[in-house]
Amino acid sequence: MTIVLFVSVALIAACGLIYELVAGTLASYLLGDSVFQFSTVIGSYLFAMGVGSYLSRFVTRGLVARFISIELMVGLVGGFSSAALFLAFAYTQGFRLILYAIVVAIGILVGLEIPLLMRILKNRLEFRELVAHVLTFDYLGALAASLLFPILLVPKLGMVRSALLFGIINAGVALWSTYLFRDQLGARGLLRITCACVLVMLGAGMAGAEWISQAADANLYADEVIFARDTRYQRIVLTKWKDDVRLFLSSHLQFSSRDEYRYHEALVHPGLAALPGARRVLVLGGGDGLAVREILKYPDVGSVTLVDLDPEMTKLFSTHPYLATLNAHSLTNARVHVINADAFAWLQQNTDFFDFVVVDFPDPTNYSLGKLYTTAFYRLLGKHLSAQGLAVVQSTSPLFARQSYWCIVETLKQAGLKTYPYHLYVPSFGEWGFVLAAMSPYEPPVRLPGGLRYLAAPDVPPLFQFPADMLPVDAEPNRLNDQVLVRYYEHDWREITH
Amino acid sequence: MSSTRRQFLSAALVGLTPKTDRSIAGGFIDDGHQIGHQLRDRAPFAPVKQVMRIPIVIVGGGIAGLSAAWRLDKRGFRDFVLLEMEERAGGNARWGENEISPFPWAAHYVPVPGKKAELVRELFEDLGVLRAGVWEERYLCFSPQERLYVHGRWQEGIEPLTEATTGDREEFARFAARANEFRSTGQFTIPMELGAKPSTLDNLSMDDWLKQEHFTSRYLHWYVNYACRDDYGALARDTSAWAGIHYFASREPDEKGPLTWPEGNGWIARRLLEKLARYVRTGNMVHRIAPEGRKLRVSAGETDYIADGVIFAAPSFLAPYVCEGAPPVRFVYSPWLTANLTLDRLPAERGFETAWDNVIYDSPALGYVVATHQSLRTHIDRSVWTFYWSLAEGSPADNRRLLLEKDWSHWKEAILGDLERAHPDIRQCVSRIDVLRLGHAMARPVVGFLGSDQRRRLADNSGRLIFANSDLSGFSIFEEAQYRGVKAAERALGRC
Repeated sequence: MTIVLFVSVALIAACGLIYELVAGTLASYLLGDSVFQFSTVIGSYLFAMGVGSYLSRFVTRGLVARFISIELMVGLVGGFSSAALFLAFAYTQGFRLILYAIVVAIGILVGLEIPLLMRILKNRLEFRELVAHVLTFDYLGALAASLLFPILLVPKLGMVRSALLFGIINAGVALWSTYLFRDQLGARGLLRITCACVLVMLGAGMAGAEWISQAADANLYADEVIFARDTRYQRIVLTKWKDDVRLFLSSHLQFSSRDEYRYHEALVHPGLAALPGARRVLVLGGGDGLAVREILKYPDVGSVTLVDLDPEMTKLFSTHPYLATLNAHSLTNARVHVINADAFAWLQQNTDFFDFVVVDFPDPTNYSLGKLYTTAFYRLLGKHLSAQGLAVVQSTSPLFARQSYWCIVETLKQAGLKTYPYHLYVPSFGEWGFVLAAMSPYEPPVRLPGGLRYLAAPDVPPLFQFPADMLPVDAEPNRLNDQVLVRYYEHDWREITH
Repeated sequence: MSSTRRQFLSAALVGLTPKTDRSIAGGFIDDGHQIGHQLRDRAPFAPVKQVMRIPIVIVGGGIAGLSAAWRLDKRGFRDFVLLEMEERAGGNARWGENEISPFPWAAHYVPVPGKKAELVRELFEDLGVLRAGVWEERYLCFSPQERLYVHGRWQEGIEPLTEATTGDREEFARFAARANEFRSTGQFTIPMELGAKPSTLDNLSMDDWLKQEHFTSRYLHWYVNYACRDDYGALARDTSAWAGIHYFASREPDEKGPLTWPEGNGWIARRLLEKLARYVRTGNMVHRIAPEGRKLRVSAGETDYIADGVIFAAPSFLAPYVCEGAPPVRFVYSPWLTANLTLDRLPAERGFETAWDNVIYDSPALGYVVATHQSLRTHIDRSVWTFYWSLAEGSPADNRRLLLEKDWSHWKEAILGDLERAHPDIRQCVSRIDVLRLGHAMARPVVGFLGSDQRRRLADNSGRLIFANSDLSGFSIFEEAQYRGVKAAERALGRC
């Protein structure tokens, strides 16, 4: 009998420690700065335990019943703490508030446990024995929890299930206590029913843990996530809402299937249709194969080389049934050569010339990507253009990021290229801009390939006209040693979002 | 009971914060101090087997010696040898390479030279760094150049302005204005010899000068002190105010720099060695230089060279141990420690992006430089960091002793402990740490160095033995080493 009691002590001690570890780990994982998160979580938890210990003096009657309800409360709050924190992070602005509220609530309840239990047991054992045994098992439970958590629980069960499992243990101890202390307990029936209800709730949580994890992640995107993968280079996420499939790379929208044809037709045809003799085409970036789909509409183009960093990206767009249909199986076409390499370094060691080059990189959101928009890069690009060749550069929005756009134009000029800026409207993106760059003068095409959904030859020249709110503004060229573009870009987009 | 339980819980949690040590390989890099100490201890050397007559011998294969060789070769003079004590030439521009990247062992950049630094510009034209007045973009340090870890986060630039008050900012502005005034006097030039005039600024320390000028901002004091530790290996209170001001008042760049390469100045040494390989004899320690009639006899290994002129490009403090009749050289040299850390993954980053030069505020060390920063790649998941530490606190002699006494683990722990402040997960990222101990890394421009008779006597170079090390300028920077080397070569040609 006595040993069974002490096992309960060890179990509730383990539960208490697990909730503290869950809170500290989640806070570090979601907010970073583990030293700060752990310190403040431990601090507020221990303080709350002190509050709980103090409050125990006000519990005077019905000790066992109070103890059991406290166990149930700890089980519920602690068990769902991890799920609640994940969802709070995904859905609310108040993650920190909820974090510390949960930590303090559990701390107060856990602080009440041992004082109450010792008082329940005080008539069964001599005080000396009681203190020694309760504390011994308290520490043993804590030791077991602190070892299990990193070695077994986090890797095998994950954060959500680990917390729920220990919630079940708390509730189990509560149910068990209704039998252990039945002589000190009046109405047992209602308590047992409550215990059973709590256990069912926690069990249901266990069953739905997978859904909870997904819900937390999916909320970062507006629509249903149909594919998500972390590759070595980025996080690839596909979402779907009705017939609209969207691709996000590291949370940045790349295309919407409803209007991507506008973007890709405008990216390729104003340039390539103006080069009737074009045979060799290079695409840098654009691992979705959608630009290549447009290029393959020219029967005279004999070879398309696609250089994209991420092999998982090009593999996905070669094999996924929906995506391969969207790009018309362009990546598996015999005329297309897919190379997975870092574009700047690849271009540096490559010696070929190309008639048409599509430069479709992610926006210059950081200094690493910014290298792909520098005078050094465009000079190198110029060296790979054939005498009459053209390059087209994805250049962010001339409306939302006006200075960034004209900075890219200026950078191309500084690299010794003639520039022909143009823009169009893509509903999912807004106003979007491209720049054609060449060694020799450019004339818009007189004919476009058949089967286009957006562009016709007479529509091309107007693309090169900019209304007043998108006209050129002064901008320095972007250089490797002075990447003004990253600063412009950050500034431009901050203006929009704040 | 709650207090014991509290302690236990805290202990259990602290134990679970990320600190699973992985084994880290590495050791000391051979720094030549054992060979060097043979000179000091007058160890017996091998008997002579051959005697060669040759007009010019260059002693030392650092930037000064290589620059002397570059000048001789460029003038069409081919009849000389360059003798280097170590197995590889380079001196303070030495470098290494592993499967991730080449990396520097010491000097890692050259500020973009102003118009007055004609010789440096000429060299860079030869090496394709400067073409028709335009600096090659790939050799200019990429953005972002510098960041500082201060008040728990990274900020852009190393002037600690995150929590600076208006008063602090005003002092930074006033300090910059003072530096401009000094620049316009024309006395603070690179090379220093062109402009330097006797100055009362040489009679007090940089720290005293700051106080005299009523600069009180602790951020400004840190910043100036950092500059002195970085360029001279000395605290501001151990640096001549003239030298301290020279650091801020001498540079007139016409482009945002500095110039840098993955292997630091090793890139320049490499290019020079490619051009000059046929003159260079490594593993050849010169142990005696003595007059031989009207010539000089240079003994190195089993060969004696009979030369018309000898360019002594090794650190000048070695001269008394080698050159018969040379007086002791009493320059002060700063001891340094550098380490190369191999990172097979990069630490989690928050705040301002990883820069080329990454400095931690209030650290005794100088921070680290990222060897892969000059890569054209957009995605980098492994790197080499070069950690710099000038042992400026305390006396140079004590610190040299410390360098030799402490084992590798001591320095490994000290380095990781320092980096851990800004990168809590650094221990999980580093697979290897190699440490280089440089007992006499660079000359220290102490108070009075400018007016020192000895410095001026050695720099006079009217004899057959021509001194060329940058320590003749009082401080070891690339431009001074190159200038001294080239000037020594021209003098030597005049003697032949």
